[in-house]
Amino acid sequence: MALVGNIRDFSLSDFLSLVDRGYKTGALHLTYHDQTARLYFEKGKLLLAARRPEDEKPELLVRLGVLNADQLAQACRALAARGNGVTLSQVVIDAGMASPERLQSALMGHTEQSVYGLFAWPEGDFVFEHNQRPAPDAPLALTPISIDHLIMEGVRRIDEWERIRDRIPSTDLVPRFLAPPGEKLKGMRLSPDEWKVFARINGRDTLAEIAQKTGLSDFDVCRAVYGFLTAGMLELVKRQRVLAAGMPPVEQPRLKKSLVNRIINRIRSM
Amino acid sequence: MQTVKMVISGAVNAGKTEFIRTISEIEVVSTERRATDDTRLIKKETTVAMDFGRIAISDDLVLHLFGTPGQKRFDFMWEILAEGMLGLVILVDSTRPETFRETNRIIDFFVSYRDTPYVIAANKQDRPNAWSPDELRLALRQPPHIKVLPCTATDRESVKNVLLELLYVIQERSED
Repeated sequence: MALVGNIRDFSLSDFLSLVDRGYKTGALHLTYHDQTARLYFEKGKLLLAARRPEDEKPELLVRLGVLNADQLAQACRALAARGNGVTLSQVVIDAGMASPERLQSALMGHTEQSVYGLFAWPEGDFVFEHNQRPAPDAPLALTPISIDHLIMEGVRRIDEWERIRDRIPSTDLVPRFLAPPGEKLKGMRLSPDEWKVFARINGRDTLAEIAQKTGLSDFDVCRAVYGFLTAGMLELVKRQRVLAAGMPPVEQPRLKKSLVNRIINRIRSM
Repeated sequence: MQTVKMVISGAVNAGKTEFIRTISEIEVVSTERRATDDTRLIKKETTVAMDFGRIAISDDLVLHLFGTPGQKRFDFMWEILAEGMLGLVILVDSTRPETFRETNRIIDFFVSYRDTPYVIAANKQDRPNAWSPDELRLALRQPPHIKVLPCTATDRESVKNVLLELLYVIQERSED
């Protein structure tokens, strides 16, 4: 079943995060007025982003200056001869027409720029088709692209408190790393202010204290933390026994197991 | 007579009234009124106060089901309803991603300051374009130990299943 929605309500950053955490494979189709875009993912990583149909064609490699027209024709013939399971990019590398670094860099740069442009869309319908894959001759990144830093880029463009408050309701919360952040940080490019915030996260200081120590505004700290949260690096916890609104913790009534069992049996019998 | 309480919450039009109506033994006491704000774009009538349903467990024990008002301006009711509740069902309209942010706000409200046992019911699973429970878990950023259950609020077996799953969570925390 396709996932359908609008990025006005469920932002592109949120969707990329969902794809990342869910290891999704498929194609995200986006439409905003007369503009369209298509992003292909494999196991939560980005293979290709096309802002127009030509971006999914082999000729993209010529436009990006990776191949000349003759090389492309040769690569396409070789691809047809080798059959299923081989990508155009692999054929280009195997034939020595471009180095893996050059090919990856060109395709990654193009893909990133294509996605960055999408963050400027204020709205747009999306449909995610599970397991839809690009055509065999599509110019795919050799190594699928991690989307963590794409999420951060999207978050940098947020200029409204409301969206951030949805996930960070109070600056009295304490950000805490879910795991040592080393692996997640690979390939993520942080701005100097984001580094400042990142370096101050110690599992003890509240967001307000981090703002005070870094000299950044509450908004800038919360925006950076929102990005780390969206990228799945952090969680926010309440400082023990010091609750944001000064409210005492509410104890849940502890019931006897026998009473719960009676309710269970009654519901089962209905 | 001992009474215990469960709260059914969720965004506007998530299916709270229907959920309670499907399982309650009494006709649901509901204060539905003609919607006066933007909720009327979604449905003609919406719950502006609360729904109330009841299931008799035995001669000396009754389970009350309270549905929270969906509209933001009735948020003050939530605190009152949350007092002393046994557990919480968060209903989500699986076909409307535009309500997921609001759903997160509701979850945050109810579980931030109290250790509330809760489950999430992915309602309207019978509709086309419904997001699956797994996808909703990702969209709502719920950890693996929180149950996200398929649900059709008009189907009694489905509603029973959601309540039972919540009760199993409560059972694990209860005293011998």
